[in-house]
Amino acid sequence: MIYRVFLLFFALVSSVFADVCATDDAGHVLCLPTVAQRIVALSPGATELMFAAGAGNKVVAVVDYSDYPPAALNLPSVGNYTRIDMEALLALRPDLVITWVTGNPPAQVELLKALDVPQFAIEPRTFEGVSSVLERLSTLAGTEQQGFAEAERFHAGIAALSEQYRNAEPVSVFYQVWAQPLMTINNDHLIGKVLQLCGGVNVFGDMPRLVPRISAEAVLEADPLVILTGSVGGVSDGQLDRWKNYSRLKAVARNNLLFVPASLISRPTPRLLEASKYVCQKLDIAREH
Amino acid sequence: MTRSLSGLAAIALIAVLLALAIGSVTIPPLELWQVIQGEGSALNRTLIVDLRLPRTLAAFATGGLLAVAGALMQVLLRNPLADPYILGLSGGAAVGALLAMLAGLGTLLISGSAFAGAMLATFLVFGLAHGTGSWTPTRLLLTGVVVAAGWGAVITLMLAVSPADQLPGMLYWLMGDVSYARTPWPALVVLAVSIVLIMPLARNLNVLARGPMQAAALGVSVRPLEWAVYLLASLLTATAVTTAGSVGFVGLIVPHMLRLVLGNDQRIILPASALAGGTLLVLADTLARTVIAPEQLPVGVITALLGVPMFLYLLHRSR
Amino acid sequence: MSTLHTRDLIMNIPGRQDGFALNLSIEPGQIWGVLGPNGAGKTTLLHTLAGLLPARSGRVMLDGSSLTELRRRDIARHIGLVFQERQDSFPATVMETALIGRHPWLSPWESEQGEDQQRAQQALATLDVDHLSNRLLNTLSGGERQRVAIATLMTQNPDIWLLDEPTNHLDLHHQVKVMNLLRDQTSVRKAVFLCLHDLNLAARWCSHVLLLYTNGEACWGPVEDMLVLKALERLYNQRLTTVEADGAPLFVPSIS
Repeated sequence: MIYRVFLLFFALVSSVFADVCATDDAGHVLCLPTVAQRIVALSPGATELMFAAGAGNKVVAVVDYSDYPPAALNLPSVGNYTRIDMEALLALRPDLVITWVTGNPPAQVELLKALDVPQFAIEPRTFEGVSSVLERLSTLAGTEQQGFAEAERFHAGIAALSEQYRNAEPVSVFYQVWAQPLMTINNDHLIGKVLQLCGGVNVFGDMPRLVPRISAEAVLEADPLVILTGSVGGVSDGQLDRWKNYSRLKAVARNNLLFVPASLISRPTPRLLEASKYVCQKLDIAREH
Repeated sequence: MTRSLSGLAAIALIAVLLALAIGSVTIPPLELWQVIQGEGSALNRTLIVDLRLPRTLAAFATGGLLAVAGALMQVLLRNPLADPYILGLSGGAAVGALLAMLAGLGTLLISGSAFAGAMLATFLVFGLAHGTGSWTPTRLLLTGVVVAAGWGAVITLMLAVSPADQLPGMLYWLMGDVSYARTPWPALVVLAVSIVLIMPLARNLNVLARGPMQAAALGVSVRPLEWAVYLLASLLTATAVTTAGSVGFVGLIVPHMLRLVLGNDQRIILPASALAGGTLLVLADTLARTVIAPEQLPVGVITALLGVPMFLYLLHRSR
Repeated sequence: MSTLHTRDLIMNIPGRQDGFALNLSIEPGQIWGVLGPNGAGKTTLLHTLAGLLPARSGRVMLDGSSLTELRRRDIARHIGLVFQERQDSFPATVMETALIGRHPWLSPWESEQGEDQQRAQQALATLDVDHLSNRLLNTLSGGERQRVAIATLMTQNPDIWLLDEPTNHLDLHHQVKVMNLLRDQTSVRKAVFLCLHDLNLAARWCSHVLLLYTNGEACWGPVEDMLVLKALERLYNQRLTTVEADGAPLFVPSIS
């Protein structure tokens, strides 16, 4: 905590006198001559993070599906995160572009580098990573006060939840990312970490791939207590109906086909805290069934 | 002859200038002229010189390469439905490129891998079709179609097992996309050199198109010529696919359309294909990046949408 | 003007034993007719003489040099061939088809000059197909295409003309016209060697005849020596009757 205050102080002071620097998630150090004023976010998660870091009014463009916070809907789009309109991007004369390590096309990112456009690659993989990225983004944008505060709020919230569920009864969970083909996540994925936080045991947590494609048989064999998936607003939709055919499944027998709001849990942003609270509550309900 | 070629060259130049001026940011002719002279605003210079010029030249080179390769394949196989991919070249290139993407290699190595895959596919088909000492167009075609299907199966397998986040990149490559071309110069050089090399052989190709026996009776060394043309067509296609992925239709439709209008003399058709194919792809690419901007379409979709009605119209008129 | 010799030539007909060794001498001014039933090897002989097929043994000599030693282009300047079967090919107009006859005479960088165009034009006119100059070849009738093929050979203008059943598909008027054309070529010291189905055409127009039997036997010589009834009946496995008409023998099948 004290360490954070010192860091904040240094950041504030040094931003007045020297280059603004930060290390991105690909390990590169980016130094800007002054705080960024015109920022382009090349993923919906990056958009959310910029607003959470207090730099929402400095974002000049986003990509499709950047729907949170609602203010982002008014910003112009430069295409899809898999295919960016480079001309539109350059025409906005950005002084900082936030890229997604594994999501944006490498060839276009290389082109940005070749054209000397300052870019910062992010890909938070842990809760700590989310806090850290908030701090670094706010440093680059010169909004350290809001950014660091938000990072602290998030960190504290996650820590509290973690403490609360430290001794919770373990619940086996299958998280369904996609129905056709059937996809799930392992414990390296942020969603996997949310499950672990709430005392959930991801039945596919040890799989080598981040987003494995599995068969229905594997799920039947694992027989989880809970089957969880993301939906719009957390409402019950048809995505888990197929499991109702297997009445012997514990999750079906005990009515544990559960939903969580997709946009909360799918992005590496401070809203993961709400997502975690939601999931933890759902798992509590499942424990009682 | 020179009249039609000059006309095509003029159209090509106009298409290139249009492509430089049009985009997500429209640049008026006056500003375009400024940039050409070396002045103009920094943004315009970046847009035109760093983004649009390499992309447009790459599109022109790719279109030219595919159209010439298509014309050569059609003569070689004596089949107006032949296109540069008919012998499985693009499949081999695709497998090479996708493997490189899966391995996480950089764009330069992806291109190199695609090229290697294309040349491997060439030699594979040639070797398999050789059979008992001679290959006929039919044998070559059948072998090529089967091998192409084989590559298709491998590609499908790779798409099925690759990580979800790599899929968009792979699909865009398969659909044909000029935006990845970082430098147009290899493709342009290959195109220029090939045209120079093939022109002395063009009349021989006219004779070869009458049938191999007839050609031999008129003094054409048929086997060496067929080998040379096939290798050249493969090199052109491999270069095109390496530059912009597998762009469809250009290689099939452009030589066809030109033959409907200009006749069958390869001495005209080959250079005309280079110019017309390049023009078509430049126009298609301009549309692909602007029609629903900021969304970017793959150029192969546009070549089909443009090429098919054009061809039908010409076919109708030639009746 | 060139001469075509064969030295102990045995053709390669797959699946058939070695035939007679042929020692032909095709000289300027001669017009040879090759007669024989289907399957005797007439087309194979023609293709071998043109250097398109290898012989099983023996040699074909053009002016003293073996064909295997000569370059394709040089052979094409001396020997021309009209095929019996039309091959599948790319579309082309009649004029374009005739013009390719000039190919052996032009270097890679040259294109057809006015003189070449004239030759082709004349050839097409001689064969009565010049009014079809701009028509696509595949829209013509069999007979018209046959005449275009002959016009192509005429445009090529080699010393030695090889023709594989050139009178197929032609109506009577054009059959006579073509045979007269061939005879005219011999009067300017060219050599003509053609396969014929119609024995009577050979009788009327040829100076020399080669008989090819299905079992590989062959005999050849001046026309008056070769058109012997017994030999022809054995060749065609058909009884024949002969009459004189218009100064030349006429052979018809005996039905009785």
